[in-house]
Amino acid sequence: MTTVLDVQNVESFYGAVMALRGVSIQVPEGQIVTILGANGAGKTTLMKTVSGVIYPEKGHITFAGDRIDGKDPEKIAGSGLAHVPEGREVFPFLTVEENLRLGAYSRKGAADIEDDLDMVYSYFPILRDRRKQASGTMSGGQQQMLAIGRGLMARPKLMLLDEPSLGLSPLLTQEIFGIISRLNHEQKVTMLLVEQNANIALHTAHYGYVLELGRIVMAGDSEKLLNSADIQEFYLGQQGESQRGQKRWKKRKTWR
Amino acid sequence: MLDGVTTPDGSILFDGCDTIVKLWAKRCKEKAGETAHREKEFGIWQSYSWTDFYEHARWIGQAFMEMGLRHGECVQILSEDRREWIYFDLAVAGIGAIPTGVYTTDSADQLAYLVNDSQAKFLIIENDEQLDKFLEARDKMPGLQKAIVLEREGLRDFHDEQVIFYDELLLMGRKAQEKHPNRFEQALEQVQPEDTRMLVYTSGTTGPPKGAMITHRNMMFQLVSAETLLDVSSEDEQLCFLPLCHVLERIFSVEQPIRAGAVVNFAESPETVFDNLREVAPTLFTAVPRLWEKMYSRIMIMRSEATPMGRVVFDWAIKQGLKKAAAKENGKSLDPVSGLSHALADWLVLSNIRSMLGMTRIRRGTTGAAPISPDLLRWFAGIGVPLSEGFGMTETAGVATVNDPRNNRIGTVGPALPGCEVKIAEDGEILIKGGNIFKGYWNRPEKTAETMSPDGYLLTGDIGEIDEKGCLKITGRKKDIIITAGGKNITPAEIESKLKFSPYISDAVVIGDKRKYLTCLIMIDQENVEKFAQDKQIPFSDFASLAHAKEVVNLIREVVTETNTEFARVEQIKDFRLIDVLLTAEDEELTPTMKLKRGFVEKRHKALIDQMY
Repeated sequence: MTTVLDVQNVESFYGAVMALRGVSIQVPEGQIVTILGANGAGKTTLMKTVSGVIYPEKGHITFAGDRIDGKDPEKIAGSGLAHVPEGREVFPFLTVEENLRLGAYSRKGAADIEDDLDMVYSYFPILRDRRKQASGTMSGGQQQMLAIGRGLMARPKLMLLDEPSLGLSPLLTQEIFGIISRLNHEQKVTMLLVEQNANIALHTAHYGYVLELGRIVMAGDSEKLLNSADIQEFYLGQQGESQRGQKRWKKRKTWR
Repeated sequence: MLDGVTTPDGSILFDGCDTIVKLWAKRCKEKAGETAHREKEFGIWQSYSWTDFYEHARWIGQAFMEMGLRHGECVQILSEDRREWIYFDLAVAGIGAIPTGVYTTDSADQLAYLVNDSQAKFLIIENDEQLDKFLEARDKMPGLQKAIVLEREGLRDFHDEQVIFYDELLLMGRKAQEKHPNRFEQALEQVQPEDTRMLVYTSGTTGPPKGAMITHRNMMFQLVSAETLLDVSSEDEQLCFLPLCHVLERIFSVEQPIRAGAVVNFAESPETVFDNLREVAPTLFTAVPRLWEKMYSRIMIMRSEATPMGRVVFDWAIKQGLKKAAAKENGKSLDPVSGLSHALADWLVLSNIRSMLGMTRIRRGTTGAAPISPDLLRWFAGIGVPLSEGFGMTETAGVATVNDPRNNRIGTVGPALPGCEVKIAEDGEILIKGGNIFKGYWNRPEKTAETMSPDGYLLTGDIGEIDEKGCLKITGRKKDIIITAGGKNITPAEIESKLKFSPYISDAVVIGDKRKYLTCLIMIDQENVEKFAQDKQIPFSDFASLAHAKEVVNLIREVVTETNTEFARVEQIKDFRLIDVLLTAEDEELTPTMKLKRGFVEKRHKALIDQMY
């Protein structure tokens, strides 16, 4: 299995705040890797650092064999890395189809763009129905589908998904994650997934990292993380049986 | 025996008192409105007076008398350090009962064991988290009458017949005080010097913990005997952060301040000690070696982050400091030129280091409970922090020997306390006799007999030697002595403390008993090794991957190789492994003071050890 993305000892700043304090992660080809973490842990900063929106202060990022740290985001996107940002960020006044075609902007004159459009529509039939509609008028879930579809149109070697479940109903979240899984299985899309909903993320991903205060505190395949006592208490909201039926205190994290 | 203060019946007087509780009551009366304790509340330091101290303890004592606590019965305290801990301590001792502490990191089963072993009638519980431990194991503690919870947070809807809250207890005490105004004082007067002042459980690396009975007389001996060596005045500020269940903190944060009327400041938590140190800037500070090691490595990390110019100046200043310290160690003073450059170094650098560590007002630092590297003591002397090492154990009621800060024999743990006799047995074991030797183990006369020689010396289990100045040098634990397959006797402590001087190693255990050669298990210091990896751009994710990184292993190998050069061939470490789980105080492998427990480590990490042979 080749490694598509290799992040080594990356330090990034958010203004004066050191948001990443030496993060190293790897994404192997064909897999979904998830990053878990609380608010402010540095998940989004990590995504932005990978896609070149933020330059890392220190560290290396290798994507498909090439160093990309310090490169401009359009160069990185052009080399096959699609970033589906937090909060969808579709172009609201463009139609659905225009948004999707923009996703293929870097593939100059490719003949198979129409095929890919069909592929996206087959995964998200609702987008086909609405293809002439201004995308800003669609619901949050539909916009999320569009954002993912737009990312797919670049035929990426790696797709960064930043909180696809943000603001979506539980049912819609399940639907989106179902499609993410299918895309990974059927289209062999490699993904790096940031998610607050640890339960669904771990059930979708192959491997996971836990990010806390800009550091990786735990890593392992999803099975291992799902069975970890700390993950269960702090990320999956399961609590050990208490004698009193209510519990205010939290145990100390050990991350094993 | 101590001259002049020992009465014909053998009790030891200080300030006219023969028990700690009498001395305490007297001190409270004298100092009245002056500050006894300081504690942070919502981030602001609040002061509590000696009157607060006495009144609260009296109410607690009265309440316990109402509930039928009798002379000689135990009360267990399960709480982090806080002033209430000490209130309960003196309240219980004041009525002739016996306070004893449980580490907050202990499990529910361990709690049940201690409650049952001490036959405690009452259990003091800090908060909801600790309460859950009690609820989990209450069925196993049939002898316990009541649990008293200090904090109500998170327990508004909690009701239980066996549990009352601290405020309810105080109220009960106030009412009893009105009814029997002199009862507490009468009970206090009746406490005898030979009564047990406290029960201190020994951490016990082998077998279950044993409760050591320390009498009032033992503690009075400590106070009187150490009066000149470890002087304390009412001007002194201290910081209390080591567990109060441990005899060391009890002496330095309860008994000593009672002797002199010093102020005790409570650290917010073990994690905030460094911040609290800077806020309080104590004049006296007692800590375990691990904390002093951490201070050193913090400064060394700052050095590595400084500009090249800054580093040169830093190194120069430290050199001046070490020169002065070396001169002092040899009983000389600096020549005028060196004296001048030292003054400059102190003004430019050393004073800043002290203020970063919260050591601006430090008069005396003491270290004990584990071996410390002589190089570290010299370094602290170099930056102007007088740090002296002492030796003692629970069974010697705390201190047995201590270095005089004015005449510090680095590398030794100092001379025996006045009135205490230390000698070396033929097999090298350190034997101690004196007023500080404990009364025995609670309900375990056979264990007490095992630890006393027929002629009344305490068998410490440590081995050592006494130098020409009468100072004791500890070389290791008797049962830790490694006899290699080649028949060589090796004391691992010396090698281990050398290893620990590296900022990258937080603890090490040397292995080799009945083996062909020595090997070592090493616990790396997370903070410093992470920083190393980050600076050297070595990828790692979690702690295990850090411990497995080739460069990290090589780094530790360098430390081991360098340490080896200081030892003879048979004492050299041939191989080592890093422990790849981040241990916490809850783990059995660690003592509450974060030392590795040899026995547990050897058992738990047998697979790692076997790899090396």
